[in-house]
Amino acid sequence: MKAFHALCIVFLVFGSVSEAKFDDFEDEDDIVEYDDNDFAEFEDVVEDSVTESPQQLITTEDDEDETTVELEGQDENQEGDFEDADTQEGDTESEPYDDEEFEGYEDKPDTSSSKNKDPITIVDVPAHLQNSWESYYLEILMVTGLLAYIMNYIIGKNKNSRLAQAWFNTHRELLESNFTLVGDDGTNKEATSTGKLNQENEHIYNLWCSGRVCCEGMLIQLRFLKRQDLLNVLARMMRPVSDQVQIKVTMNDEDMDTYVFAVGTRKALVRLQKEMQDLSEFCSDKPKSGAKYGLPDSLAILSEMGEVTEGMMDTKMVHFLTHYADKIESVHFSDQFSGPKIMQEEGQPLKLPDTKRTLLFTFNVPGSGNTYPKDMEALLPLMNMVIYSIDKAKKFRLNREGKQKADKNRARVEENFLKLTHVQRQEAAQSRREEKKRAEKERIMNEEDPEKQRRLEEAALRREQKKLEKKQMKMKQIKVKAM
Amino acid sequence: MSANHMSDPRRPNKVLRYKPPPSECKPALDDPTPDYMNLLGMIFSMCGLMLKLKGCAWVAVYRSFISFANSRSSEDTRQMMSSFIGLSPHTNQTDQQSPQGAP
Repeated sequence: MKAFHALCIVFLVFGSVSEAKFDDFEDEDDIVEYDDNDFAEFEDVVEDSVTESPQQLITTEDDEDETTVELEGQDENQEGDFEDADTQEGDTESEPYDDEEFEGYEDKPDTSSSKNKDPITIVDVPAHLQNSWESYYLEILMVTGLLAYIMNYIIGKNKNSRLAQAWFNTHRELLESNFTLVGDDGTNKEATSTGKLNQENEHIYNLWCSGRVCCEGMLIQLRFLKRQDLLNVLARMMRPVSDQVQIKVTMNDEDMDTYVFAVGTRKALVRLQKEMQDLSEFCSDKPKSGAKYGLPDSLAILSEMGEVTEGMMDTKMVHFLTHYADKIESVHFSDQFSGPKIMQEEGQPLKLPDTKRTLLFTFNVPGSGNTYPKDMEALLPLMNMVIYSIDKAKKFRLNREGKQKADKNRARVEENFLKLTHVQRQEAAQSRREEKKRAEKERIMNEEDPEKQRRLEEAALRREQKKLEKKQMKMKQIKVKAM
Repeated sequence: MSANHMSDPRRPNKVLRYKPPPSECKPALDDPTPDYMNLLGMIFSMCGLMLKLKGCAWVAVYRSFISFANSRSSEDTRQMMSSFIGLSPHTNQTDQQSPQGAP
């Protein structure tokens, strides 16, 4: 639908562009020579001079009212395009006069005729009057570029959609055996599985699954490359990027203990540690190598405490991580997940952001850009890993020590936050108080009845005095205590 | 391995409906391309109109295509259409007034 509209618009633009070019062609102005009609009176004079003098055959070519004049005799045929109708046959009385008379005249017709003969060197017609393709050089180029862009859009869109469908077909069985609700776009009144992906964009597809033990739901997001955008395609040729599958499992509160843990490629973990609120607060160390647990070097671990790592890295998990290390970008379990850090202009937000217990997985589709639908099958074992992790997160519980540490950590983070925002909160309270005062003053001012005004003023004054007294009392008390 | 032998992990009574995540500032941060394209497009189409440069008008056409391709789902298709339509007069005008091949 969108593509169709785009095509229409292109044709519209092109059509109007071409129309503009075809101006009416003006007739070439003939080069006109208007001779004087002076010699008409000499027509009947001496015949000698007639023979001597050049005769010109003057014909008119255009529609103006110049009479055609016949010649009595002509020496030469002049082919010029003369508009003037005059002939000169006879002329003046005297011969020398004749010659002289006709000298200039001879030259004139000669030159004019030569001028008109040469136009066989055609004067260059200005470009905008030409009706050739060359003048549209730029337009043709641009429209070709646009057409190429549109073609790429259509091809890219189709490829993305095919990849998404292939992924879904591969994973459908697994998902349906684990979740009651597979595919939901939130618009239906009843919770029925739509059984298909939600297309958010030309390159992003969502799938919501729900109805399982331990977890509230799982949101799978297929983030493909922007194959529909030619610029992106060209940029990718310089720097290969992969399609990604992002899975976010929201856990029930009672099914997950309190810990923050992440494993993934070093680069990804560094980035996450900077961006994610919970990782930056709870996991302050740099990502550690996972070699101790048998992980390949490409993967690193970020953890709140060692016990969590120990618990998480059981044999099965290690097996998963080792075998599919090239496809794993990051795995992030957290009970304090609140998304990336929010940068606010006024400084820290006044309230701690809401947290949810979440498991996040980011996988890279193999092929790094040049993926085919059959590559999607390679991701199936990773989905198994996801399911396994959900069950594991439910089973894994910190021991007493771990729990204490975790609680301490969380309390510490909260305290820090409160301290940071203390100044802000004070200022906010102060400004609120000032607002109230100002509002009251305005009310007093706006009061038309002078009586009421006075009474309100007095009330305000009394309140102020009371406050002052209270403060003084407090100061006195403090002094007494100090002493 | 996923479906336990013991029991079916599915729980129909625990189904939660899908709530589209609230549109926060995050989408804009992730991918500012459409916004840049829109801004540049406005600038170029104004330049093209005022300064009568054909190249500007064509750049504006290109940017509208790019922003269309990169559009996020939240944006209205009508917005795109109106930006397309707003462009064609510019291109026509510049073509008529400066019809020589290259600007």
